[in-house]
Formats: sequence, C-alpha cells, structure tokens
Amino acid sequence: MSETVPIYKAKPYVAKQPPWNVIVHDDPVNLMGYVALVFMKVFRYNKAHATKLMLEVHQQGFSVVWTGELEKAELYVQQLQLHQLKTSLQISE
Amino acid sequence: MKILPTMEGGLRIDPETEADWHILRAIILDANGHDTDLAARLGNMIENEAIADDWKEYIIPDLRESFSDDLHHVYASIETAAAFPVGDETAIWITRADSSKWYSALNQARLALEEIYQFGPEPESDPKNFSTLRKDALIRSRVYCTLQGLILDHAWSA
Repeated sequence: MSETVPIYKAKPYVAKQPPWNVIVHDDPVNLMGYVALVFMKVFRYNKAHATKLMLEVHQQGFSVVWTGELEKAELYVQQLQLHQLKTSLQISE
Repeated sequence: MKILPTMEGGLRIDPETEADWHILRAIILDANGHDTDLAARLGNMIENEAIADDWKEYIIPDLRESFSDDLHHVYASIETAAAFPVGDETAIWITRADSSKWYSALNQARLALEEIYQFGPEPESDPKNFSTLRKDALIRSRVYCTLQGLILDHAWSA
C-alpha cells in the first residue's frame, strides 16, 4: 500500500517592490479645511482621519498620507498636486 | 466690494469701485506672476530621477493645462461681467459648479504671492514694515483668502 505524499507547488519568485510614501508638506497658503477636504476626496478618508492627517501636516510640517505600490502612489501624488498641495514621493524605509 | 451667498450654494460678487475691479483682475496677473509656473514648482517636488523625468513629460503638462483652464474661466467670468452689465449691475456669479475653478485660481494667485513676497503664516505677518508693493500684495492675498473661505464655507459645506 503506497503512502500518499502531498505535493507542494513552489510559487514562482516575484521580487517584492518596496512600498512608497505619499508625503504632503505644509505651506502657509492652503487652508486647513481645504486640505482635509482634499484628503477626503482623493483617498475617501473619513472626516476624522482626514483632519488628523491635516493637523499632522500643519504641526509637523509634513505627513505621510498614504503608503503602497508605486503606480497607485504616483496617481495619488498627481491628484494631490492637481489640488495644489505640495506633495512628494519617497521609498518607504 | 460686496460678496453675498446665493440660494443655490454659490456666491455673488458686486464690485463697487475701480479698486475692486483692479483686485479681481489681479487674480490672473498674480497667479501668473512667478518666474516658474505652479505646475513646474509642484513637479520639482518629485526628486527620484526616474520618476521626475516621467513627471516632466506627462504630469506637469496636465497640471499646467488644468491650472490654465481655471484661470481662463475666472478671467472670462470677470470680463464678461464687466462688459455686459445688467442694468446698473455688474455682478460676478460664482456657481457651486464652477466654485472649484475659482478656488483654484485664487489659490494659484496666493501661492505665487507667498513665494514672491514670503508673507509667512497670517498671525505673524505684520505689514507695518512692508514696502508699498509688498503691502498691496498682502492685501490682495488676504482678499483672495477671504473669498476662498466663503467658497469653502458656503459652496462646499454640504
């Protein structure tokens, strides 16, 4: 009687891309209420989370508002810049 | 200048003096007043070389076109109101639908003025020691900011 041997299929190796941070920087022009509204519109964040991030921008000078894959990060940066927020993109460490 | 909310969630601006018209027309001049346009200034925030090249080629032209469209819209609204008064009234209407274009144009003007004159955050900026040119720019920036606040509170509050 032969024994059943489980067969494991090795998954193909995929190099993992590092996540990217979308960073919004403070400026003395953009109104706080507007910045929170933009976060709600672009990321679909709720009001409390959008306000928390906006306050981080205001108090710390910047905030990492989203982290993830590059393609999506680029799209978010483009949308935030379209709303005239000073936004940059950095590899997450 | 009188600014009134409308029942439809927009704003009505009634310029009353030549100075009011001057400030409104200066929105476009101020927005275009910086040596480097806003799209390029924002694009310069992208430091990664590989991404920055793509940004220059694809994204900055899109941003530039969008910002320019908003300025054209505001320019046309102001000049249409000036050219075609209804009776004695030369009201400029900001509907809820085009309030984002107005907000954008005002923001472009304020961002450019801030970069040129470095006013700093509002409570600290004391115009007492400013030159006339800088003081005038600060006044315009504050008028634009007030108008933006009204758009935020009235047109986008729902």
